Amino acid sequence: MEPGDNIYLEREPWGRFFIWSVILHGTLVGSIVIYIYIYAAFVSHGENWGNTEFGDAMSATLVSRAPVPLPAPTEQTQNLVANESKGLTESQPKAVEQQPEALPIPDRNAKKKPEQRTSPEKPRTPPPEDNRVPFGQGGPVSGPYGVFTANNAKGGFSFTGAAGDFGSQFGWYVDVVRRKVSENWMKYEIDPTISSSRRVYIVFDILSSGEPTNVQIEQSSGVPSLDQSAIRALQRIDNFGPLPGGYRGSKVSVEFWFDYKR
Amino acid sequence: MIKRLAALVLLTFVSSSLLFAQTDWIRTGTGLGVEKVRLAVPDFKAASNDAQTAPLLTVFNETLWNDLDNAGIFELVSKSFYPLSVPGTPPELQLAAWSNPPVNASMVAFGNFGVSGSDVAMQGWLYDVRNTGSPMVLGKQYRDPASPANARLQAHRFADEIIFRLGGGINGIAESKVYFISSRSGHKEVWQMDYDGAAQTQLTHLSSIASLSPRVSPDSTRVIFSTYAKRGLELVMYSLELGRMVSFPAYNGTNISPAWSPDGSKIAFSSSMHGHSEIYVADSAGANPKRLTVSSGHPDSSPVWNPKTGAQVAFVSGRTGLPQIYIMDADGTNVQRMTDTGYAVSPSWSPNGQLLAFAWRRSYGPGAPGSQDIYLMDVTTRQWVQLTHDSGTNDFPSWSPDGRHIVYESKQGGRSQIWSMLADGTKQHALSASGENSQPNWSWK
Repeated sequence: MEPGDNIYLEREPWGRFFIWSVILHGTLVGSIVIYIYIYAAFVSHGENWGNTEFGDAMSATLVSRAPVPLPAPTEQTQNLVANESKGLTESQPKAVEQQPEALPIPDRNAKKKPEQRTSPEKPRTPPPEDNRVPFGQGGPVSGPYGVFTANNAKGGFSFTGAAGDFGSQFGWYVDVVRRKVSENWMKYEIDPTISSSRRVYIVFDILSSGEPTNVQIEQSSGVPSLDQSAIRALQRIDNFGPLPGGYRGSKVSVEFWFDYKR
Repeated sequence: MIKRLAALVLLTFVSSSLLFAQTDWIRTGTGLGVEKVRLAVPDFKAASNDAQTAPLLTVFNETLWNDLDNAGIFELVSKSFYPLSVPGTPPELQLAAWSNPPVNASMVAFGNFGVSGSDVAMQGWLYDVRNTGSPMVLGKQYRDPASPANARLQAHRFADEIIFRLGGGINGIAESKVYFISSRSGHKEVWQMDYDGAAQTQLTHLSSIASLSPRVSPDSTRVIFSTYAKRGLELVMYSLELGRMVSFPAYNGTNISPAWSPDGSKIAFSSSMHGHSEIYVADSAGANPKRLTVSSGHPDSSPVWNPKTGAQVAFVSGRTGLPQIYIMDADGTNVQRMTDTGYAVSPSWSPNGQLLAFAWRRSYGPGAPGSQDIYLMDVTTRQWVQLTHDSGTNDFPSWSPDGRHIVYESKQGGRSQIWSMLADGTKQHALSASGENSQPNWSWK
């Protein structure tokens, strides 16, 4: 036997452990990837789910209607609160909750001077103008009236143009518009092969009589059937009801966006 | 070694799937679609000590609550959640008490009501309690002679105002009427009632052996129906303004199931004046009847116009055997079959022109004891949905002017009665109880 033969004889047991090692490492890497993916998809958004302060979360009905747990969506859902637009309002930091005063149990360290309690952190005052989007240039309003959800889909809108602070003054009317458009949006008109798409923006005016006019696509989603279904939703509506009596303008302009995800 | 490895792999996947299932559950708990407006309606406060106030106030409060509850667009907050101090005027309204739990309302309708002298006066407001800046949405006051009927009327009017504002410009139906056939006087006569079944009154006194299918005109001035007269079943007209029958030409043969065009200028009906039962259209005085259908021996009946456009007519035809629902253009062209099977009759077209309500026995014949139920069909896609289930034999659906309700005839336990429901099939309740009542028709406004 040549001295070098030992090397070849030892190869077989080494190969077997190598395969097991690959399986083990593969499994570990795989589970880490799955964990990170699930964490990114759900847990990192966990604080926002069900927090009505920011509007309802999206496409929940899809899950609730399905008899079995569905796989995670392959795309990131759009976070309505943190979009690129800074919006018209800034959320205030949560006030620090004061714990009920707990008396320390006297012990050997009782002589120590009790630690001074720090005064509760004052709410940060919003910085001046620099993070406010100039009027009319903001994205969708991220307030309670900004968003609606429907089966497999969601939409939102902002009141622009002559509206001013229409949304805050006549929130109930904005609510009527939101409900009415979403009621008239027929999802079956959308190409069934589309699973998700970009957002379509529709702009229209509401006259003082409540009649919608000038319905136009501001920005197409790239899916003609989705664009059409959004336009048709508006065309089905004859009237939103007259604009509130306290409103001085002759019309309001509305930007309404539709998101679709099957 | 291998067993340990397998256990590790299993544990890894089980834990990740557990994590996944848990997250999914959290998502399920979030918002579910478009919600109804959460509305609180505290009882109105008595505004005077007059002895008449208390009974009328009870009528008013009950009527207002029922109107808003039946509207189908509100989720009324149960009165047991309300704060103890109920507001009668805006200064008495504590916004936070109504917008916070347990009430959690987004809107509050409140006000006061009282009899002073011979009049009954009501002041009512609708407040958006989440909007502390400018909460008032609506403020109304009415004054009428004191009577239970006027207390009901004031409640109807105020409810209609609220529904109009919050329902997106669709008028409320609280002041609409339902026309129907009742035999409670011994003969089948035309009756009318409020949409909620109140104030049932007899209109005709023909003492005929049968009157059928009353249809009110779009301007609510006339009711056309068919009745047995000298020549058989004839179309006759009753004027609601004059309170008596007015003349209408008598055609030969059997004339049934009239229907008004949405502009009130034409009447479609089924007639056998030239032998077979076909659909005819005449002007509203009955002149110039023209035939629309040609089905050579197979009966066509129950025409109804598309109320939105007036450009289409739905009808029932037996041209393929059992009766089925068809639609055609208003000039009789472009006939399309809508139902594919069973026994389908009594179409009624929704005010927005998108849906047909009709009575359908999907499996018909010996050995197929299917019940007859009310269905809706989307005219463009022909998707349908069943509204009534396991509730006897249902027929003659008729849409409310707001398109949110359907009134229909239901035979449960031997006697036909008039029932009403929301257009999604919920909130089914009987409107009539005495005698035999059938073939309801909801007014156009």
